[in-house]
Amino acid sequence: MLKSLLLGDNPWIGVSHLSQSRARETTERIPSVEAIVEVIERAVLCGATGFTFSTHPNNFQILKALRQAETIRHDFELCPVLPYAEGYVRITNEKGMIGLVRDVLSKLPSSGKAKALVKGGISAMRLDPLSMLGAYVDMELASYLNVKPENANLGVVLLHEVVTDLAISFRAKHLFESFIGHMRDHYDAEPGFVTRNFASFVKFFKDEGLSLKDVTIMTPFNRIGFQMNPSRESCENHLVHLSEGSVIATSILAGGYLGPDEAIEYLRTLPNLSGVAVGVSSKEHAEQTYSKLRPLLST
Amino acid sequence: MGILHAGILNSLPDACVTAICEKDSFLIRAARSLLPKTIAFYKDPAKMVANEELGAVFITTPIRTHVQLITELARTSKDLSLFVEKPLAASYEEARIACETANGLRGIHMVGFQKRFSPIFQKAREFIQNGSLGDLIFFRAYSFSSDVLREGGSWRFRSGSGGVLLDLAPHVLDLMLWLFGEPAVVAALEKRVYSSEVDDYVHAVLSFKTGLKGHVDACWSIRSFRLPEVSIEVHGKNGMLRVTDDFLKVRIDGGGAAAVAGTQTFNKQSFDSSVPFLLADPEFTKEDEAFLLAVRESRIPDLNFFEAAKVNAIIDQIDAKANPTGE
Repeated sequence: MLKSLLLGDNPWIGVSHLSQSRARETTERIPSVEAIVEVIERAVLCGATGFTFSTHPNNFQILKALRQAETIRHDFELCPVLPYAEGYVRITNEKGMIGLVRDVLSKLPSSGKAKALVKGGISAMRLDPLSMLGAYVDMELASYLNVKPENANLGVVLLHEVVTDLAISFRAKHLFESFIGHMRDHYDAEPGFVTRNFASFVKFFKDEGLSLKDVTIMTPFNRIGFQMNPSRESCENHLVHLSEGSVIATSILAGGYLGPDEAIEYLRTLPNLSGVAVGVSSKEHAEQTYSKLRPLLST
Repeated sequence: MGILHAGILNSLPDACVTAICEKDSFLIRAARSLLPKTIAFYKDPAKMVANEELGAVFITTPIRTHVQLITELARTSKDLSLFVEKPLAASYEEARIACETANGLRGIHMVGFQKRFSPIFQKAREFIQNGSLGDLIFFRAYSFSSDVLREGGSWRFRSGSGGVLLDLAPHVLDLMLWLFGEPAVVAALEKRVYSSEVDDYVHAVLSFKTGLKGHVDACWSIRSFRLPEVSIEVHGKNGMLRVTDDFLKVRIDGGGAAAVAGTQTFNKQSFDSSVPFLLADPEFTKEDEAFLLAVRESRIPDLNFFEAAKVNAIIDQIDAKANPTGE
């Protein structure tokens, strides 16, 4: 049984894993913030327990507007994913890698730990990426936490797959330790990681002696193995044998390729799933999807 | 692109990143503090090759430095295998130097046109090559992105090393080459929108030996294209197809023996796209696997320097047609 049914933000930030032409069509029809709040409220009434979102500017406005939403209960979970990777890809294209680093550093708060890091400019900067990661996470989260609905809880803070998967590829154990430690020391929230390499992720944690206790993994699970690497079978096998950690399934509809019924039929076959994240584009869509998913929730 | 390939390679079972060459001291310091201590850092590529036991080098530097690096590395070691991010060179003349250098290499050489590894484009090629569409009449193609929505400061925006024709268009031009053969450029025009030194839009009319004609547009300043996208639509006497990074739609109208009339759609999800390790799109992993396999088998892959030089030839033709006075 699942503990959480999370709303995803893809339909509201122009992302479609089916096709970019569909994403463009969706973007042309992105509803107003008020209408999005109505979709979220309908989803909550139909069983959604939280909202997972990237730190895209649209989501800042959505969170702000959610303060007025009456359906947001005290146990509604917010699960931000950071950084908003595409924004940084654009900066790299425009300014190069050095330009990206300068850009990020210039945004770090000019007080506290970050001040000591950037004092004296880039050339003289003390390069302590792990402290910088903490300062960066604090900066990214601060504005969202300032506007979040009072009732909503920060459930999990997740590192984007671009960071997670690169860190796995370079076996950067210290980065995982640092992020997990920072979340535990400074926030009342679980650390989480988005990955498209679930099997490699689990194996890496095991090989490096890292504990998955109270760690959330958000990763694709769907009947056709879309975005499941190295294979659907391997991901399922690692899920079956997972003894600790929470797994939230994404891409359960394989980007809109599968219908909710066949997606749910597949989810029922998976042990050890603790949650599901799925995006919906309208109130009707929210009702159809979450009403069908709600029976999977443990009460 | 360097970090992407390095991440993929370091995750594949029979490869390991052992050295990185980077000119910028700050980036070296940043990378040193994040990456495994086993990775050595250099500022001089020749010194890196001389000091390390390398099987292959990935060149993912600004375009205008590719050929200079190829020649320098080949001078240091004839046994190296070289992978170069697309395009091979900044001009056809430079690409020919790369090919001459490759002739003297004992290692293999490959260029990163990863779209050839997409199962969707591979399926489209099958339909085109098995004659399902009948004699081909015309095509229209584009490569669009929203990468440039204001003047940038990186090498991509410097004359002679960037612009949409060298940066974005090579993918769609390589696909044209792969699907239809070598074209002649009939006409072309370019336009600057945000950039002051390079073009942000290019349009070219191409003609192939088979009689197929059509046009291709490349623009990196289209706001609604959140991610880069290639689209090729080709019409034949018996039907048509449209292929993009995300889907292939084929409509056979009949009139030929090769295929049954009807419409078929293939999405990314129609194919098994799982890879040993995914960073960005699966095509990048497949491309790197293909390179490693070619190195292991000492076999020059299809996407070698000579094949990639043809893309540079098309780029130069487009540029010459768009700027007949050489401005």
